[in-house]
Amino acid sequence: MPVIRADLHTHSCLSPCGDLSASPRALAAAARKAGLDMLAITDHNTALNAPAFEIACRGEGIVPLFGLELTTMEEVHALALFPTALEAVRAGEEAYERLESETLDPEAFGDQIWVNEDEEIEGSLEKLLIIGTTDLTLDDAGTWTRELGGLFIPAHIDRSVFGVLGVLGFLPEGPFEAVECTRPIDEVLTGGWPVTASSDAHYPGDVGSRYTEWTSEKPDFDSLAAALASRTVTAHFGGR
Amino acid sequence: MKASDLIAALPCISAWDGWNDREITGGYTSDLLSDVMAHADEGQVLITIQSHKNTVAVAVLKDLSAIILASDRPVPPDMAEAARDEDLPIFVASDDQYTCSWKLQKLLSS
Repeated sequence: MPVIRADLHTHSCLSPCGDLSASPRALAAAARKAGLDMLAITDHNTALNAPAFEIACRGEGIVPLFGLELTTMEEVHALALFPTALEAVRAGEEAYERLESETLDPEAFGDQIWVNEDEEIEGSLEKLLIIGTTDLTLDDAGTWTRELGGLFIPAHIDRSVFGVLGVLGFLPEGPFEAVECTRPIDEVLTGGWPVTASSDAHYPGDVGSRYTEWTSEKPDFDSLAAALASRTVTAHFGGR
Repeated sequence: MKASDLIAALPCISAWDGWNDREITGGYTSDLLSDVMAHADEGQVLITIQSHKNTVAVAVLKDLSAIILASDRPVPPDMAEAARDEDLPIFVASDDQYTCSWKLQKLLSS
């Protein structure tokens, strides 16, 4: 059975913290160079680069996943991953609507632009995506994601800021499809949920620096969901 | 001073009634519960905007005397229920964390 390698958490030029060079096309090319089979785009509280990302990934032979990194009311970051660009864009539109934030000052925080498949700028978002929170609690965000057909994975849970262990001291009950860690940590802290590792890349060069592996006939959303449900994913923290 | 003295002195509203009215030995202000776990001391009041069930668990773990939710943060039902189970008072104050903190300091030193 083939081994699937996926980076489930990356940022594009639409995240203010993401580099302008991190176009969907550059991310897809970086995924191919890193030897990945699948790549997810997960900008903060929006998914407007998902359509361009889909075309870019298909061009590189990479299977795309589409999502967003939600900021919950507790200031916890969590990934919501969807099988199609359309579902992610819709979820992102609602998350952006629910985000209470300030107006972006590009000088201070960087740009928030989304592009088409030819890397032409389509528009930019006004609300600063990385400050402020949505009105969804962590519990609500899990339910919300699942109702929209997505997978819910609290991000970098071991980080002191924006990670659930840092913010809430320990992992709430869940449920979660998995928890993402940036390093191997004790199972007591991960609550027995499947552990994923992903780069959280903000520059194309970092794509694949951490990744998640499972075996399946086909690299797609359903095989990821099945591997998470059967707890057969392996987190790789060292990268390729 | 006792936890019940906070109601008139801050002022603040008690999220539920019938809690254990303990002596307050000090305060700790933080919204990161990992930081509270690492640094808060027994008998202190936790001043925070982190209105989550885990806040109660951490307060119990550190044997804190009460939680003050600043800036009128709502108390989720599961948080209130956890506090009831532990006899831990939760107070909701309109003031922000800074103002609650200096008011508490003034009350404790008077």
